[in-house]
Amino acid sequence: MNELLIYSVLNILAVILISPFFMGVIKKIKAWCQGREGQPLLQQYYNLIKLLRKESVVSSTSSWITRATPYVNVAALITAALFVPVLFVPSGSTLFGNLILMLYLLALAKFFMALAGLDAGSTFGGMGSSREMAFSAILEPVIIIIFLALAFMFKTPNLFEIFRQASAVGILYAKPLLILLMVSLFIVLIAETSRVPVDNPETHLELTMIHEGMVLEQSGKYLGMMELSHAMKQTLLMAVLINILVPIGFSTALSFYSIAISFAAFMAKGTALAAVIGIFESSIAKLRLFRLPVMFMVAFFLAFLTIILEVYG
Amino acid sequence: MIETNVFFASIFFGISIILPVLVSISRPIARRISMACAGLGLLALADISLRVMITNSAMTLNLASFYKELSFELLIDRLSAFFILTIILVSLAVLIYSFRYVEHLKKKHGKNIAVSLMNLFIVSMILVVASKNLISFLFLWELMSISSFFLVYFDYEQKTTGKAGMFYIIMTQLSTLFLIASFLLVYSSGNSFEIRQMPQNAPMASVIFILAFLGFGIKAGVIPFHKWLPYAHPAAPSNISALMSGLMIKVAIYGMIRILLTVLPKPLLWWGVLILLFGTLSAVLGVIYALKEHDIKRLLAYHSIENIGIILIGLGLYVIFKASHFEALAFMAIAGSLFHTLNHALFKSLLFLTSGSVVMATETKNIEDMGGLIKNMPATAFLFLIGAVSISALPPFNGFVSEYMIFYVFFNTHVLISPFLKILLVASACILALTSALAAACFVKAFGTIFLGVPRSKHASSAQEASKSMIIGPAIIAILCALLGIFSFQIFSILGFNFPIPNMMYISIVLAGTYLIFFLLLYRASKIRVYETWSCGFPLSNGKTEYTASGFSEPIVTIFRAIYKPKRNSTKEFYDDSNVIVSHGHAEMSLMKFFEEYLYAPVLKAVDFTSGITARLQAGYLDLYIVYVFLGSLALLIAMGVLT
Repeated sequence: MNELLIYSVLNILAVILISPFFMGVIKKIKAWCQGREGQPLLQQYYNLIKLLRKESVVSSTSSWITRATPYVNVAALITAALFVPVLFVPSGSTLFGNLILMLYLLALAKFFMALAGLDAGSTFGGMGSSREMAFSAILEPVIIIIFLALAFMFKTPNLFEIFRQASAVGILYAKPLLILLMVSLFIVLIAETSRVPVDNPETHLELTMIHEGMVLEQSGKYLGMMELSHAMKQTLLMAVLINILVPIGFSTALSFYSIAISFAAFMAKGTALAAVIGIFESSIAKLRLFRLPVMFMVAFFLAFLTIILEVYG
Repeated sequence: MIETNVFFASIFFGISIILPVLVSISRPIARRISMACAGLGLLALADISLRVMITNSAMTLNLASFYKELSFELLIDRLSAFFILTIILVSLAVLIYSFRYVEHLKKKHGKNIAVSLMNLFIVSMILVVASKNLISFLFLWELMSISSFFLVYFDYEQKTTGKAGMFYIIMTQLSTLFLIASFLLVYSSGNSFEIRQMPQNAPMASVIFILAFLGFGIKAGVIPFHKWLPYAHPAAPSNISALMSGLMIKVAIYGMIRILLTVLPKPLLWWGVLILLFGTLSAVLGVIYALKEHDIKRLLAYHSIENIGIILIGLGLYVIFKASHFEALAFMAIAGSLFHTLNHALFKSLLFLTSGSVVMATETKNIEDMGGLIKNMPATAFLFLIGAVSISALPPFNGFVSEYMIFYVFFNTHVLISPFLKILLVASACILALTSALAAACFVKAFGTIFLGVPRSKHASSAQEASKSMIIGPAIIAILCALLGIFSFQIFSILGFNFPIPNMMYISIVLAGTYLIFFLLLYRASKIRVYETWSCGFPLSNGKTEYTASGFSEPIVTIFRAIYKPKRNSTKEFYDDSNVIVSHGHAEMSLMKFFEEYLYAPVLKAVDFTSGITARLQAGYLDLYIVYVFLGSLALLIAMGVLT
């Protein structure tokens, strides 16, 4: 129980603290790709602190939904952070690590975010909510089939157990099919974090926006919390990908040195993945809105292929 | 003790049914006494069924026996007790709600009869579930159908009600027809109407199963037999819709489970595949059709179809895993299915009741004419939100836990041996995921359009909060939705089941804890200023620029255009000759009603055609009919002579 408590505190703190950094890395890489200097790596932290202190403007049309949503988002994401170990896996615990519950916690955050988009009565918010709910609905089977494929390969639906097995040496060598699955997971990561071919995090142009449309009416500390939870969601999905695909350095025991190594390794791998995301975003154009299902189908197909090969192989 | 309880319950129910019909005064006092009596009767029964539920015992009760097989016998075992408890919980809340709701109804006459029928409806549902033999099951099943039919007809002056009522009664009779056929086969296997285990002979068992599945499936609203639901539920008053959608279709689910558990306890694999396929189809199409609806009650009716689909998916998994000899997983599947039955009964009646308050306040069922109601009706909005969160299967509410249990079984698909089954289950799981995400989208749409933003009509802006009883009733259900979700693990332990479900109590503590911590940390962090919505300088005041419900579901309609087959028609008139400046125009979009156009219409045509032919035989002369009778008897005699 003690170990679980340490795990919970460490994991939540790590996710909260690391998340803005990865956001900053992606921004930096994108700026470099565009030939700009870009903001300092720690700018995201300054932004967050500034936002959390700033005055919030709330629409007179809106209700308590707008004000409760940021808290619900942060609470849901912090709870979800318990389910994805970033530093180490505590031994013998089945309380957390549940993939389905994590997915539905993210859905809880999304549900309230979409409601808040409709709350102010602005067309932008409505458009954002409508698109977000539509596309996350067709993304849902993709995520579930990826998780099912993981459950097929590792014979367990528990993420802790999956990570533990993955960190045994040579997982990729033993299960090369994982690469296919991780391509799907990468597409899900791009879509869930509203990145370029799906959404454009940089603009407020109504043609492209999904996520930004929903949070358009949020400001001050509310916006700060929304951005924090968005960054945390990205870190969680990145952690799933990283800790399965390249579990090098990932710790399965609780000791100071192993956790320090694990932290350094995770930062390095996370920065690399963030750089990949940044380059990916810079090298691809935004897809037409109703072309997105095609991209999701690719991810779906790859995961389905994994399952078929796993079943018949 | 049990006898006294049943005795008091019968007396209370008797009063509650008879009193409002006998006393023909239009003042509310008779109706109120009647509803209070019904509530007391329910409480008396709750005691018995709770005891049966916890101790896992069974009790029988012989009410009356007429001749050999014809007897009214009740048997309350754990399964029955579970369904009786579900019925009691929802009915109590509905009764409290109806206390004021019935008085607010615009109709002058018929309120007394409606209350009496409602009580009869509730009692008949309880008795169906407690029936010990098939004869009393069928008799009470019909009583349930007919009392609900008259309740659907309550607003008989309206044109649409007539069609809805006819549709309902025809479908429900069709369902009974299949049930009678199935039950006769059960009888013929051992000359007894007792609900009991069938002797093992495979072909007969399959026929019994198929007939029962069809019969109960029609009543439960399984696609493609679902069409009566979206007609009948909106036509009935909202308290009745809550009972029908929350409970009556669950009685059909009870029938299906009873057949699978007691009559045919060794199911075949392909039955499971069949149930799973129908369940998956109902789930996904139910929610897809719900998304296009703007009539709030019809939208909820389609969601009932979706949730019946989810329940059937659980049942299908039970049969598949049972037939493959994975008892633990099979048990988990059926437990998930049953838990979802209870949960759906709760949150669907919660949603029907709160939307009934909304419909009453705004005098429209069209959500496009609502908006901004959260300000005038905060309590109703909050309760509706709890229902919406529960039905969207979001943690920590009850809908999540039951869907989780079904997902858990899906995630253990790898234990199965047949590759075909594995792939089938994976596909079904993906569709279930799609369903639950679309349900969330649909309830964002519903809650957003009804309660958020700016009012879109006069009625919406002047809406009044519902009366107290119309808030207390749904509030009870809302609390149950939360409790059943948060303490699901503990409740299952009390009942003696140790399922591998997450302990939602801890999750809720973490969720609430972080919410509170952040709230306290940031409480004084910054000022909050209220200002108007940013709208590019275009005034928002009248709600015309808001996102509409049809706008909200537009991306989904476009993505699933193969299913909706949207037809767009638009005409434009122009001021100038070169057709540039539009003066006015007309645009409409219609979506295909697949089952109505391609399944129901051809059947209707065929029936129409054959009855056109048979009508010629009915000339109306007595001598002709005597000739028919003579010819008929002759044919029978000859046939018997040939056969023997």
